[in-house]
Amino acid sequence: MSRTISIDPVTRIEGHAKITLQLGDDGKVSDAKFHLTQFRGFEKFCEGRPYREMPAITARTCGICPVSHLLASNKACDDLLSVAIPTTAENLRRVMNLAQLTQSHALSFFHLSSPDLLLGWDSDPASRNVFGLMKANPQLARDGIRLRQIGQQIIETLGGKKIHPTWVVPGGVNEPLSQEKRDAMLALLPEGLEIARQTFDFYKRLVPKFQQEARHFGDIPTLFLSLVTPKGDLEHYDGLIRISDATGRIIEDMVPPKEYERIIGEAVEDFSYMKFPYYKPHGYPQGMYRVGPLARLNNAESCGTPYADVALAEFRTLQESGPISSSFHYHYARLVEIIFALEMMKRLLNGPRITDHRVRARARSNQHEGIGVAEAPRGTLIHHYRIDDDGLMTWMNLVIATGHNNLAMNASIRQVAEAYVDGSRLEEGMLNRVEAVIRCFDPCLSCASHAFGQMPIQVELQDPDGKVVARLRRDAGNP
Amino acid sequence: MEDSRGASQATGFSRRALVIGYGSPIRGDDALGPLVADRLARRDLPQGVTVIARHILTPDLVPAVCDARLVVFVDAAISGTPGEIHCRRLKPAQAPPVTVAHFLDPAELLAWAEALYDKLPTAFLVSTPGHCFDFGHFRLSEPVAGAVEALTERVHDLVAGHIPAAP
Repeated sequence: MSRTISIDPVTRIEGHAKITLQLGDDGKVSDAKFHLTQFRGFEKFCEGRPYREMPAITARTCGICPVSHLLASNKACDDLLSVAIPTTAENLRRVMNLAQLTQSHALSFFHLSSPDLLLGWDSDPASRNVFGLMKANPQLARDGIRLRQIGQQIIETLGGKKIHPTWVVPGGVNEPLSQEKRDAMLALLPEGLEIARQTFDFYKRLVPKFQQEARHFGDIPTLFLSLVTPKGDLEHYDGLIRISDATGRIIEDMVPPKEYERIIGEAVEDFSYMKFPYYKPHGYPQGMYRVGPLARLNNAESCGTPYADVALAEFRTLQESGPISSSFHYHYARLVEIIFALEMMKRLLNGPRITDHRVRARARSNQHEGIGVAEAPRGTLIHHYRIDDDGLMTWMNLVIATGHNNLAMNASIRQVAEAYVDGSRLEEGMLNRVEAVIRCFDPCLSCASHAFGQMPIQVELQDPDGKVVARLRRDAGNP
Repeated sequence: MEDSRGASQATGFSRRALVIGYGSPIRGDDALGPLVADRLARRDLPQGVTVIARHILTPDLVPAVCDARLVVFVDAAISGTPGEIHCRRLKPAQAPPVTVAHFLDPAELLAWAEALYDKLPTAFLVSTPGHCFDFGHFRLSEPVAGAVEALTERVHDLVAGHIPAAP
């Protein structure tokens, strides 16, 4: 008799999701699915609104990565205006994007994933959380807070608000950077870089312990998609699309982001509200690819900053050859990217024209279609708008960073479940590993403000008729 | 929106009270917290009061919480009679909720402050139950909109009661 295990909700990720594991007659996993169970409908409710509202509205998609939506949306609006924004404005936007990446990656690594990494997947769930982390390694928890603070302070210094800044506008930014603000931001970076390098060294020594997890946490052959610079280096704000395959061979290169529809298709499935993007030439679902820090580092020739390039070289030793294939190493990749972000912000802020007063190109809409693409912390983010003659939105498509990874997350869950879940006996550690593989991707399924972390997690074994034959439950405050 | 009037750098006062209004501005009544924060920031507040609006509560707020003697969180509640104003004292969470997403709740923030920095300010949650939290809603429901002024007043009184006006 086949049975289904459901993990609902998945913990320590953003938004609402659940996992179901279909067990075969032998008690082994025969199928696995990752469900996004919340619907937001941005593409629909934005129709009819002025395109200039889109940066402010779409940034409300999330309280964690609003800057990513702000940038992609404004880039789409730049395209509608048909303007090239001033170089200084572009560099200031880059700084904001890197600050966002720093704070977002810090939250993922230090506070969401570290409990598993430091305390172990089989440790008591009552203490396998950030409180347990505080007891085991309070300095790591404080370092995470400090890195987030640094990222947020830079966002606030530039944008005037830590969350949902309105400083980025179509055509550039609405205020030049003062020397005083530049110096204030520069003063934060040495401490951040010191924390990032220390944490990288710490994790580098820790990672050999996780060889088994690395083998089973989404070690799957997929394509990798990301932006790269025209030279093929690490890129987060602009650049061109590169896709490499599981052997490291580049199969698409220097693709202008405006041509994304030529290479990216989007499928839908009835079990999730999240779309399933795929590489069109390979078809669905064979065209599975991954985005985000792992893909960016696999695709980049180099980072282009000193310490990050050393860290990248060490990252590449995780595997004897080829791209780093295990999704487990998203954690490692995030640390490399934090180092890069801090170094690159310093370089940009020390640029000779960073305080130039020409920071905005002014225009009205000059075409009916605009596409904006940037690298969010979790991967490539695409905003695609169409407007009418009055500048009102007639159509919108958002390809969210987390969505790109949807096929890969499902495949990763199945792999880890096959390795660890035995339906004849349910153990919490098995199921935590299934959740943990999702946390490797750090999915941001949107910020649901009232989804306080007080829902219980429940795992049920069900027969084909839906009858519950076993249940594993952890209640809020009573793990 | 962030108003740092009375900030320690300018006055020599330590930051004494922190008001954090939080919620999503595009989810109907969830916008209550930021709206109240916005109104409060425009008032004549005692020195040393900082008002912050946030979409969600995140760990980088912990140092600001540690720096305050009084912290007032303002939020829309999920259940109850919309428009009714509630004010309750908060204690730090004794155990973390099982689902720890990218955001924290007020009791968790207090627990982080206590566990990592050995600081525990007096804290309150001032709220009113919301009626509609759907995405793409840009207005408050009628009962919640009607409670904004009274709720702002309640927070103001709470702060003034704990933080006397500067001489």
